[in-house]
Formats: sequence, structure tokens, C-alpha cells
Amino acid sequence: MTRFDYVRPSTVAEAVGLLEAHGDDALAIAGGTATVLLLQKRMLRPELVVDLGGLPGLTGVEQNGGGLRIGALTPIRAIERDAIVRGTHHLLAEAASQVAGVRVRNAATVGGSVCFGEPQTDLPPALLAMNATATIAGSQGSRDVPLEEFFLGPYETAREQGEVLTHLSVPTPVPGSGGCHVKFTMGSPENKPVANVSALVTVDASTRALADVRIVMGAVGGVPMLAHKANDTLKGERPSDALIAQAAVRASEEADPVEDLRGSVWYKRRIIKVLVERALRCAIERAN
Amino acid sequence: MYLADMDMPGMAHAKVLRSPFPHARIVSIDASAARALPGVVCVLTRDEVLADSTIDPYYGYVYRDVPIVAIDKVRHEGDIVAVVVAEDEETAEDALELIDVEYDELASVMDIDAAMAKGAIQVHEVFKPIAPELRPVEGTNICHHSTLAKGDIEQGFREADHIFEDSYSAPAVQHCALELHGCIASVGDDEITVWTNCQSPFPLRGELQRMFNKPARVIVPYVGGGFGSKSRDRLEAVVVAAAKLAGRPVRLLLTQEETFQTFIRPALTCTVRTGVKSDGTIVARHHRFAVDVGAYSISGARSANNTLKVATGPYRIPHVLVECDAVYTNKPPSAPYRGLPTTQHTMAYETQLDRIANELGLDPIELRMKNLLVEGDVHVTGDLLRSVHAKDCLEKVSSSLGPQLKGEAVASNGTIRGRGFSCSIKYTITPSEPTLATEAGVELQEDGLFEIRIGTVNMGQGVDTMAAAIGAEAVGVPIESVRILHSDTALVPQDHGTTASRATFHTGNAVLDAGTKLRAELLSTASDLLEEDEVRLELSAAGVAVAGSSGRSVSFVDIARHRGGSLLAKGECWVGGVYTDESGKEYPIASTFWTFGSVGAEVEVSRETGEIRVLRIAAAANVGKAVNPEQTKAQLEGGVTFDLGPSLFERLVWGDGGQLMTTTLMDYPLPTLHTMPEFHVDLLEFPYDQGPYGANGVGEMGGVMVPAAIINAVYDATGVLFHEVPLTPETVLAGLEATGA
Repeated sequence: MTRFDYVRPSTVAEAVGLLEAHGDDALAIAGGTATVLLLQKRMLRPELVVDLGGLPGLTGVEQNGGGLRIGALTPIRAIERDAIVRGTHHLLAEAASQVAGVRVRNAATVGGSVCFGEPQTDLPPALLAMNATATIAGSQGSRDVPLEEFFLGPYETAREQGEVLTHLSVPTPVPGSGGCHVKFTMGSPENKPVANVSALVTVDASTRALADVRIVMGAVGGVPMLAHKANDTLKGERPSDALIAQAAVRASEEADPVEDLRGSVWYKRRIIKVLVERALRCAIERAN
Repeated sequence: MYLADMDMPGMAHAKVLRSPFPHARIVSIDASAARALPGVVCVLTRDEVLADSTIDPYYGYVYRDVPIVAIDKVRHEGDIVAVVVAEDEETAEDALELIDVEYDELASVMDIDAAMAKGAIQVHEVFKPIAPELRPVEGTNICHHSTLAKGDIEQGFREADHIFEDSYSAPAVQHCALELHGCIASVGDDEITVWTNCQSPFPLRGELQRMFNKPARVIVPYVGGGFGSKSRDRLEAVVVAAAKLAGRPVRLLLTQEETFQTFIRPALTCTVRTGVKSDGTIVARHHRFAVDVGAYSISGARSANNTLKVATGPYRIPHVLVECDAVYTNKPPSAPYRGLPTTQHTMAYETQLDRIANELGLDPIELRMKNLLVEGDVHVTGDLLRSVHAKDCLEKVSSSLGPQLKGEAVASNGTIRGRGFSCSIKYTITPSEPTLATEAGVELQEDGLFEIRIGTVNMGQGVDTMAAAIGAEAVGVPIESVRILHSDTALVPQDHGTTASRATFHTGNAVLDAGTKLRAELLSTASDLLEEDEVRLELSAAGVAVAGSSGRSVSFVDIARHRGGSLLAKGECWVGGVYTDESGKEYPIASTFWTFGSVGAEVEVSRETGEIRVLRIAAAANVGKAVNPEQTKAQLEGGVTFDLGPSLFERLVWGDGGQLMTTTLMDYPLPTLHTMPEFHVDLLEFPYDQGPYGANGVGEMGGVMVPAAIINAVYDATGVLFHEVPLTPETVLAGLEATGA
């Protein structure tokens, strides 16, 4: 670790001011489960660490209009265990429960998980499948960014250096919806995923057709990816084994994995196909 | 207390500058800016080492090929170039960045094939063998070539009805002990003191004394796991040299990434050619293997050589030829890894045996039963085998798993099940060089308790419990009456090291010898004091009493007082020597004991993802006598668990530039609770007459059979026989698709 100054601001405005003033020399940390490792390895060398952990009002889940408002500092473990999330936003709780190990989930925050922009993690695909919006505070006020526009590349997001993510708004799925998050790891399920898939589907009560489908693939591209062709294949159709298999093949073709220690391009596409099938079957069953 | 918890008055902290290249000549090192940084005590480079005429800059017991810090060139990524000593670790890290090293990059050899290729660049231009058995091949990277033969291999193949040949490979992995490597050194005018988490304090002491020309004391606190990674030193001489230069105690603690760059299990390739009769009788086996010892052969060449003895397995084979090459590469140095290459040999010969069984239409278990060694057989080394019972072990694991539920019958959601077995034989180091005997002391002390002094290192495997049980039993007092003193070269008698399943046999025997002698002394002294014949005396926790109801007794405190305050007995365990066969031919005893065992695995394979779940493992070994049955079972379970990782997913990966890619445990998966199978462990207790109370060494036995059993189980499930580990999901799925299984 290199030497740095440390400050724990007590208001969002103060945090924003510090981050803006110090620019690239400042590092914002929340749970620290990813950033502290990088500090230890000297891969990050900030002059100032701005610890967001003391900001008031950014922790917890509350119902807000047609959805949930999740404070950025809410621990991932709290999302996993929250009764409201588990009820109306089950997909999110399920994804949260699959992030690393319980010790990491106790420390890591929802906002940190999103702002770190790591492709191999579980919450971003689920938030994207659920059509979440990020609210980011800056010196000029707050702005809302749909998650579809939030992730720009590996470890790169729409949050500017002088901004702080304050909360995420996640709409409540319409009746008849079901979601499922699945991941595949080598070795322990606590390991980083070879690939993961979040699927949210809405089944029309009268026609049994899929009124809406949002399949998101993780770890097979620089950002979590909506499987557009697979989603289009399914929308408006009544699900069958053949159709699910076809959608899974399309998704695996859309995926854009790179070869790394967790697998070759060929293998990751195969895993995406399996995961899309599993997530779809599970989500459709839950929708029914 | 573990090493990282220890603090010494005036202690400074060291950090290591490591080579970014796998192979390069060092043109220049400029550490002046680092030395000028406030808080830096000193910087150790080749200049300081070479300027000190009292230091031999090279160390190694087998090959003297490891410099304290790189002198002419660096030979692996992470090789030690310089050491900064500072008031704190952060300052030392800051100073590392201020050292300017100019490298002249050289071509590198990152695997066995590249290193053995004609015209390959040499990792060491000059060989420096120490051990007499080493046979380097000049002008190559082969630092040791050796063979072991029995019978006439060509004749054997002529007698065979069928000949099978297969090649196998296993990559480098790391031991991943929970406690990382570390060392504290203090160099006084008259003595070097080292606190380190090494497994072999006495050989280390000798080597430090030789290198620094000064008496040394090595103290080993509790060690958080070793598995062989700490059986040979890499850091101690570095920290001693740094402490000498600093003039104060210095501590070095490695990170996980540095540990991966310090000692690894070597990669291995082998080719097995086996001749069998149509009824399954094995008549000939030619086993060729090459071990990637890495950049320095600290013990790699000897480890490879030792496994010649077991490369053909626990089978009666009349015609045998084993050939071994130990090869330098530009990977980190290799260390023994629980079981050594016995594990990879077993993987090769046991999976080939299942192929033979399949192709000859024989049952794999019956094929093994037909060929397994039995009591009184002569091993390929010439050793007469006793306390074998290999067949009993195989029968045990087979019955533990119960009736076979075959393949598709239990399949659901695209998974298939299968079952596989393996058998093995493990040796121990014989003779235990450089110290031939293992010694122990048992002392009655002035407080009436008994102190047992052993050189063995406690790294969680239960040696203290073992020594206490044997010592108490030998003296004839309850286990509560003993205390243990271990692994401080100034306070305990010497031992070769806590490796190779040695401790219970060697240290146990030495404690038994000492305890028996002390008991005799106690009885003799009590006999004088009580004026009674020894045969009428009995020992208890309190002292020695006259049998019967007289109530006459003398306490241990009084016996100690009578003998001047304490009473010490020394014990020894000598190993080695020769075995003479009926014709009068002499063979050096290749192993003081041989351990036999068997493992059965039941696995579930996903056709969708290739993922393997190991559902159940049955393990059995002939342990001779389980000194502590629960700990002995745990040794077998621990061994199995240890080798699940390299069987399923562990492997170290280097990129094209020779840089390690798997630098953290995020990229190097380890077994977790999720990986755990259901265990069925059986201890067979057929006493071995040379062992303490009949006990045999068993520490490495659980793991060595695991990769073979899993590969065979996958073969049973899918019909695809893999020739490599780890069986990652991708490897398995690719294998299934390639064969259309």
C-alpha cells in the first residue's frame, strides 16, 4: 500500500466536493472489499481516500412509488436478507446471495458493487434485468442514469470522478413476473463466475405467452449484456423446450466472452447456453 | 503463537525486489536512491553478498545452486534480486520502487519439453551437485537422470500378450498452506538465531552454519501447514544475510503472490508402457517420467529420484525399467508436495490399469487383486516387504462404497455417475540424510512431570499428541504427566525433518526408545529407594509403588530429587542399512517402511457443463497401529481433501512472457466445503514390527490415490479416460465432445 490521506466525509455534498477537487488523485471507497485489495497491491495509488461509509441516509431499502429505493451503502448481505426484497424483488435477493462469500457480502455494498464496474459479479446483471436506475449526485445536483447506460466497459461506468452514487431505484415487476439468477463457477460457488445469467420474464395470464423477457448475461463481455436476440426470440411466444433451447443458442452467440483463467471462448458460450436455459425455465416456473 | 505474531526488540522489516522476467542477465543494480530514503536501514544486493568474505552466497543440500540474491542472472519470475530492510514494511515497499535494475532479457524455457529440446538455452551453465547420487547431463537442462531396473524389460515385453502405452501430464500447483512463508533472523557476534516456519530445522541449521561460518540456532514456532512447501528453505539465508547487514533483527513475511513464486509442486510428464498376459497378469512395465524442478533444484532432483522406488506401483512385476529426468526450467523452484510425484505416478499406472481392464474385459478390482504385492514379496528395489495388506485395503474401500449403482440408472438432469478405484505404495526417505538417526529425549523433571523433547515440527498434524501418547505409554504414566518441547535446535535433539510421513515412525520410535530407557531407570532407582525387587514395582501418575496393599511408594518428585533434580533418557531411531537376499546379494534398504492403501471414488459428471462432483470417497490404508485413531483418520481425510483441488481445478498458469497469471486465490481455486465428499475412512492395523507399537507412516497416503480414483470414476461414468489433471469442467466437456460420449 502506498501512503495516502484519508477522509470520512459526513455529507454527500462534502464527499462530492472532495472527489471533484482531487480528481484522479482521489479514490472513493465504500465496503472496500475490492479496492483495498488493489491498494494493497499498489495497483491503485491515490493521494486521498474518501471513505463514503459515514454518509447518512444512504443505507437501507425502502418502498418508493412503484418500486424500491436501495441506498448505495446498503450491504449486499442486507439485500439478500431483506424481507421486502425477497418478496417483490426476489431476483435481486437471489443474485445478492450468490456474490462471493458471506464475509464479503457483509462488508461489500450495493453501490460499490455497481460502481466498481467489474464484469465478473452478480448484482449488476440482476439490476439490469430488473430495469434499475442509478441516481448519482454531483456538484450540479443529481442525475438519473438507467443501468443500461451506466456500464461503459470493464471497470468503467457513467459515474464521473466528482460524483457519488446515492441510490438505485428498482421497479417492482408487474404481476405474472418471475426472475431467476444462476451462475457457474469452477470450484466453490464463492468463486468468481465463469458466467452468470439473470432472467426476468412476464407471463401473460390468459395467453401463457411471454409478454416480456429480459435476459442479462454477465462475465461474458466488458459489461453485463442484455441478450437482445434471445429476448426477441421469446417475446410474444408461448415458451416450449425448443423455443428455450433456440433462445439459449442465440444468447450464446450474442455473448462476447474473452479467454481467461476461467475458460475459453468456446466454453463460456457453452456455459451461457446452459445458464440461459436454466434461468429461463426457473423464471417461467416462478412467473406461473 | 505463529511467526507473524512475533516481534523482537529492535526488529526491522524486509521486502524483496523480485525479477519481472523469467530469465535475464543482470547488467546493473543501482540501489542508491532506495538507501537514501528515510526509514531505510539497508539494501542487500549481490554487491553486499559478494563483498562479505565470510559468506558462501550459494546454498542447497542437493544442488548448491541457489544464490542468496541473484548474482549473475535471474532464473524465474519472482527470483530474488534485492532485499530492502526498513523501519516498517510500507517504507521497505516504497524503497523497492527506487531500485534501478537493468536486465538483459534471455530466452526462457517454461516447460519440460522446451527445456529438454535440443539446443535449449541452459538455466544453469554450470552444475553444482552436492548429493552423491545425482547424475546431471552436462550441456543440457537435465540436472539428474537415473534409472531403476529389475529383470529384463525386453524379455518382459516379449512375454506379453498385449502391450499398452499411454502418456500423462500434471501441471504445477502450489501447496497453499494457510500460513504463508516467513522468517525472522538475528545475527549476533557469536551466533545466528532464526525463527522460521520451516519443516526441517536441523538440516537448515547445518546449512546456515556452513554458509555464514557461524553457529546457528533455528526455532520453529507452531506452523500453519506445510505440506512440503516449507520442507526446504528459500528465505532463511536471505533474511540472515539481511539481518547481518542491518545489524539488528529482521523479519520477512511473504504475500500469497510471493508464496506462489517461492515453492511449487513441479509439473510432471510420463509415459507408461505395460505388458500383460491375456489373463491380466502384468509381466513388464517401462515407466519414463520427467519432473520440472524449476529454476533451482533445492530438493527437486532428489525428490524425483526418490519416487523411482514407487513409480511402478504396488504390483508384482517381474520386468521393470523406470527412467527419470529432473529438468531445470524458468519456473519457480519446486518443493516436495505431500506425496511427491507418487501422486502423479499413481495417476498414470492406475488409470492405465482401468484401460487394460476395459480392453481385456476384466473387472478393474479383480485385475488389481491378481497383481497386488503381498506379504513377503520382494519389491522392485530389492526390499523384502512386510505388513503389506494392499488387497485388504482395496477390499475395504470396495465394500465401503457398497453395491454399484450403474451409470444412467441414477442419472437425473443430465448427470451421470461412476465409480473408480486406485491403489498405491508410498516410501519414506531412507536413509535420512544428512542426519542418519532421529533422536528424542524423555526427562523426569523436578516437578514430577515428564518432558518429551523432539525435533519434529508441529504443523497441525498432531505430532505432539503422538509423541505424548507414545512417551507416556513407554514410561508407564498417564498422558497428563507429560509435556512436549519441540523444534528448537538449542533445546531438543536432532531430526532430519517433518516430511515424507516420517514423524510417527522415526520420532515415535526415538521417543519409545527414550521412554523405555527412562522407565528402566525409574524402576531401578525406585527399587533402591524402596528396597524392593523391580518386578514388584508399579508406575502410576504419582510415582512408583510396591504392588499389593503395603502402600509403600516413592513419588516421581522424590526420585528426581534423589537423582539430582532430573533424570534424562535419550532415544534414537536409526534407519538405513542393507537387505541381503537368499543368494547373498545386498540391496541398500530403499525405504524403512512402505505404506499401502486404496481409494475409491464415486463421482457425478454433468453432460451439460462437464462439472464433476465427487460424491463419496472411501479410503483405507494399512497404518500398522493408529496411535491416535481420530487423528489418523483425519490425516487420511485431509490427504484426500488436499488432492481434490489438483484433481479438479488447481493449476498454476504462466502467460506467454513467463509471468504467473494465477497470483491470488481468486484466480487459483481451492477446495472448500462445497467440494467435500462423504468420507468412508478405514484404518487397517496390521502391525509393522519395526514401528513404534507397530505403527507405520501414513501422512501422505490419503492424497496420492485421489486423482487416479477420480479419473477412473469419470471413465466408468462416461467411457472417456483422461490422461491429465486437473479435470476442470472445460477439460471434461471438451473430452466428452471429442469422443462423442
